Amino acid sequence: MRRKFLERLAGGVAAAAVYFAAAHVAVAQSNEVIMQDPGGAYGEALREIMYDPFEKETGIKVITVQEARSGPRIKAQVDAGKTEWDLTFIFDQETKLLGDCCLDKIDYSKLSESAQKTLATMPDNLKRPNGVALQVIGVALAYNTEKYSGEVPQSWADFWNVEKFPGTRCLPAWPRFVFEAALMADGVKKEDLYPIDMERALKKVEEIKPHVSKWWTTAAQAPQLLLDGEADMCMAYAGRINNLVVVEGAPVDMTWNEGFVYYDFFSIPKGAPHYENALKLLAWRLDAQRAAQLTQAYPVALPSPLVYEAADKDISRLWANNPDNIAKAIEWSPDYWGAASPDGRSTNEEYGQEKLNALLAK
Amino acid sequence: MSVTNIPLGGADRRSFTLPERLKDPAWLLLPAAAFLAFIYLLPVIDLVRISLSGPSWSVHFERVFAVPLYWNSLVRTMEISFMVALLCLFFGYPTALLIHKSSGWRQIVVATAVILPYFIAILIRTYSWMVLLGRNGPINKLAVALGIFDQPAQLLFNRSAVLLGMTAVLLPLMVLSIYSSIARQDPSFVRAGQASGAGPLAVFWRVLLPLTMPGMGAGFLLVFVTALGFFITPTLLGGPGDQMFAMHITQQADFATSEGFLQALAVVLLVITLIVVAIAGRFLGFEFIWGGGKLVEASSHASSPRSSRRGGTLSAKLADSVGWPLLRLLSRMPLGTGTWTVRVLGGFVLLALMAPIVVVMILSFSKASFLTFPPPGFSLRWYEKFFSDSEWMTAFTNSFTIALLSAVIAVTLGGLAALGIVRSSIRGKAAIMLLLVSPVIVPPVVLGLSLYSLFLRTDLAGTISGLAAAHAIGGLPIVVVIMAASLQGVDRRLEQAAAVHGASPLTVFRTVTLPAVAPGMAAAAFFAFLHSFDELVLSLFLSSAQLRTLPLRLWADVNYQLNPVLAVVSTLEVLLVVGGIALARPVLAGRTKPAV
Repeated sequence: MRRKFLERLAGGVAAAAVYFAAAHVAVAQSNEVIMQDPGGAYGEALREIMYDPFEKETGIKVITVQEARSGPRIKAQVDAGKTEWDLTFIFDQETKLLGDCCLDKIDYSKLSESAQKTLATMPDNLKRPNGVALQVIGVALAYNTEKYSGEVPQSWADFWNVEKFPGTRCLPAWPRFVFEAALMADGVKKEDLYPIDMERALKKVEEIKPHVSKWWTTAAQAPQLLLDGEADMCMAYAGRINNLVVVEGAPVDMTWNEGFVYYDFFSIPKGAPHYENALKLLAWRLDAQRAAQLTQAYPVALPSPLVYEAADKDISRLWANNPDNIAKAIEWSPDYWGAASPDGRSTNEEYGQEKLNALLAK
Repeated sequence: MSVTNIPLGGADRRSFTLPERLKDPAWLLLPAAAFLAFIYLLPVIDLVRISLSGPSWSVHFERVFAVPLYWNSLVRTMEISFMVALLCLFFGYPTALLIHKSSGWRQIVVATAVILPYFIAILIRTYSWMVLLGRNGPINKLAVALGIFDQPAQLLFNRSAVLLGMTAVLLPLMVLSIYSSIARQDPSFVRAGQASGAGPLAVFWRVLLPLTMPGMGAGFLLVFVTALGFFITPTLLGGPGDQMFAMHITQQADFATSEGFLQALAVVLLVITLIVVAIAGRFLGFEFIWGGGKLVEASSHASSPRSSRRGGTLSAKLADSVGWPLLRLLSRMPLGTGTWTVRVLGGFVLLALMAPIVVVMILSFSKASFLTFPPPGFSLRWYEKFFSDSEWMTAFTNSFTIALLSAVIAVTLGGLAALGIVRSSIRGKAAIMLLLVSPVIVPPVVLGLSLYSLFLRTDLAGTISGLAAAHAIGGLPIVVVIMAASLQGVDRRLEQAAAVHGASPLTVFRTVTLPAVAPGMAAAAFFAFLHSFDELVLSLFLSSAQLRTLPLRLWADVNYQLNPVLAVVSTLEVLLVVGGIALARPVLAGRTKPAV
């Protein structure tokens, strides 16, 4: 009786040990690539038009991680020598900070022919040794068209003008974009924005604060707030707003006037577990035809004239890098936000974030 | 405070006559101790070390206290936690009384209404409040229909929403804490009071209230300490003016330059939590941490006598000189006012606890693609979406596997540790128990942050075993508390009888002890499982792309796209908990009986 019990116990322990080992090993596989993903409707479009066909063609499984910002995690992973991700998008202002420590060189010679073609048409600044600009991002003023049906808001001055345009607002809880918008609302000219006068910007932000129903933190929140009626006018990512207008016919619209245009850089972190697969996926996304097709489902474009030519004109007018839109928008400065802060303890972005948080918490 | 104050210690020490080989099973504590040392103490020490690194040791801490943002947030965190604890006390006491006073099926309904939400993930309960308070939510719809509002009001993203949400989330903790204290009282005290001519109000004020003071204190501090580290609820329900300290830690984790500073923030939060616990422990005895909530009232009848007496004398004067005259005025009110107050307040609480869950369950059958209540039509489309979506299914399987493994770890280590602490004559039981249970009070954000670097270095990040082990840190205290209580309920004479008749220690354990504690063990396993299944904050730090758990998937969707699939998952979780409680009910009933 006693022996039987001991046997069973030993069996249990052994089973547990095997289980542990299996759980541990099951994770490392070679036919996959781990890709940071913006989530929401954009994520769904990427899955449908980019990743599913890629999986079918190559047999490499694309695993996506929904993460709005990857910089700090990459740094921690690379510092510890345990990189988990293969392909990530890095904010332009972070590329300098992370470039040397954490990002691998992209071996451009290994990319497919169609990718090379697309790259040949891109300016050098968008194809750096350790990052390629795969998407042009626009941040702009969006509003509910049911709420503002007659005269619509056209500038950040209008956004701040709650008498002329009564209603609730939503803004990102970040200093970048918000400070610039505040300064323009306060009468600063486009070309005089940088370096940013933070105190002046904060003062202006304080003015609009009582009318802001939500300071959002992820890209999908602003459009959701507009749709749910939690906010009537928002600073939002242009891609999703245009997606709602075109694909779903939702009662929202936006203006490119005084919008912000910038690039997201796609990089392979040092020590990425599937470097070769990451290159394949990068090449896949750089194919001009496919990139143009993606914008049908979600109007965020790859900054190459080839893609522009391949795309439907009705769609490309919505792109952030459409010349008409760029003319109205502002060239946002990642260099300023990535530079060292006045007190030398952090970056301008981090410094501004602390200031903004303090104001919002009041 | 002395060791004899710990109910777990005293009894065993004198009456100790077991066969030699089992004489001192203190070594059974070793596995749990080693586990906690590696995965809990070591990382926390490392966290402190990193926070002190830098040009000078204090540079990061200077920034925490020099930038008003963090200091203000610290004050705000204390304020919110204090308010939440007060609100929980105010609403929790009548509810506990209601449970105590009702009987039969009514008691079952009331108790379930309190216990059920307690076991449902905080994330899900917070989400249901988002639905309830939303612009298209039932409260707004009702208020507009009744003409209270002209148009839907902004109920979300402000301080009131945070207080409401946090109170609702933490209330069960308070109710259980007070209830265990009420149930423990000798009912003859109340009868004696009544027989001596005291009215219901006097009995309440002079007998019940002073006697339940420790329970109230324990509940208050438990809620306060838990609230200090809160992150999920204020993030989802609050506005920018409601930033709590734990949120700064996650937000700072967004900046690649903030190493050291990030850890300093976590250390500050940890130290403040420990200070509050230390002060509380000084007055109440540290049992409040484990005696408060987790159904141990069955066997720890010896509530700390010193603290209750002290609390009594101190407040008794105050109560008699200030409170009593006021209450005399109240007693002019018609008879039964007290009972009705309890019923109304308690009923209100039950409504607040159950309504969100019911609304979410209804919403899961909605036809609409966005959240609106009442649903424009009913369909099963979101259930279809959930069950046909491979990502949701994988997340579910992952969570289930992790929770199962985590429960095995917690029950094995915790069960042995409970045996070691209850049956050995080891010194410093109070300190050991405190160490075993202490993970409960460490804010999850702090724990997650400290584990992150350990997990990266040891290859545990993003593994099933790693996550299961991390979740077991929190599961272990639950198991230890339940199992210790369970073991104390075992009749030692039966074991001795078996031993006298020649049974080996292992046989004694298997044939006598194990069957006696089996129900407790089953309950412990269930709660450890649930703890892991619901865990979000640690997983946020420790999981990987390949290993998405259900709460992680939920969290991403709450942040990226509020849709009815979340309601489906919530409904399924509720069913899981109901099923689990139904299975564990014989056990729970068995444990509460001796106390009543």
